[in-house]
Amino acid sequence: MAASAADLGRKDLPTGPGYEAYTSNALKLFAEHLERNSQGNLLDIGPVCQENIQFFAHRVKKHHVCDMFIRLDARLRKGEPVRQIWQELDYPIESFHGILVWELADRLNDEDVHELVRVCHSILMPGGMAVIMVMGDQISSTETRSFVIGQDYRVQLRPQPHLNLPLRGRQNRDVLSMMSPFVPAKSFICRPGFMEFLFQRV
Amino acid sequence: MLKKYKKVIPEPKVAPAPVAPATKVDRTIIGDQIFIEGIIRGKEDLLIEGSVKGSIEMKANHLTVGSKGQVNAEVNAANVTIGGKLVGNVNATGRVEITKEADFNGEIKAKSISVEDGAYLKAVIELEREPMKKFAHPEKQAEKTEEKPASVPAKESSMPAGMDNKRI
Repeated sequence: MAASAADLGRKDLPTGPGYEAYTSNALKLFAEHLERNSQGNLLDIGPVCQENIQFFAHRVKKHHVCDMFIRLDARLRKGEPVRQIWQELDYPIESFHGILVWELADRLNDEDVHELVRVCHSILMPGGMAVIMVMGDQISSTETRSFVIGQDYRVQLRPQPHLNLPLRGRQNRDVLSMMSPFVPAKSFICRPGFMEFLFQRV
Repeated sequence: MLKKYKKVIPEPKVAPAPVAPATKVDRTIIGDQIFIEGIIRGKEDLLIEGSVKGSIEMKANHLTVGSKGQVNAEVNAANVTIGGKLVGNVNATGRVEITKEADFNGEIKAKSISVEDGAYLKAVIELEREPMKKFAHPEKQAEKTEEKPASVPAKESSMPAGMDNKRI
């Protein structure tokens, strides 16, 4: 049963349709994967989130945060081409045990998704995992939200009103196709209506 | 009958204690028209609204980069608040706070950290690692959730109410 923000003890988080807390099995598997390596390196390219930094601080040695959502938003607001933002992900190849992509792919056109996937594949170690979410067609709002991880992998969505990004509404088969350089590990449909995917680099 | 009255001796008037002055904030401010290049060492808190390039050493004090501050430096401080632009590595024995106005690029080593949504961040964060709490894994939820390899195509179906996760 879905828990409300109150159940999670976080009064700042919204409740209501589209904001139901849920248990993320993808994040649970991802965290367990990271915990297997005490010197783990994680890259989080999602909206900056205090709770998630705290959550992973005890699970990895180094937590890299490079908020691509805010960079994408800045580009779009200025009417500048998106393709240059990938320069921000200028990490050495095979640097990370895991990458949190969140729903960034659902905010990009096909060309930019291709570039995102190429970069992620390059900087992820063999055996490393990436978490991707897509909103699916049950989500009516295009509002950008962060996925706030709580205890026992309960996740609550928090609106990011400073971000104004288009939502492409990709489906299951679109995600599998665009992530073709990776091996699909697991996928889940979550209570609020979106899909979680766990991909692995071989 | 005469009543005995105890002689009341008035208490000596004590002069009111001087009102303690408002807590003095020992903080140096580098104003927004100031540019400093070099090493800053200090034993009092520092607010930077100007530009600083070099290194900042104040291991027992609090450094604040204000909203107008532009800092390109290696920072060693007890606590650090970033509300402006900071490029460089931050080593804090205490807490690092990053506000939503911040633009930070560098490494952070600290005991704890707080970050506001909307901060412009490219960072490597390394927090002091305490023994990890053993979280109770959501076995019950896991039992309820069926899993299959993601390569299995999704079926177009509506989710039963009350179900958190469902395989695709």
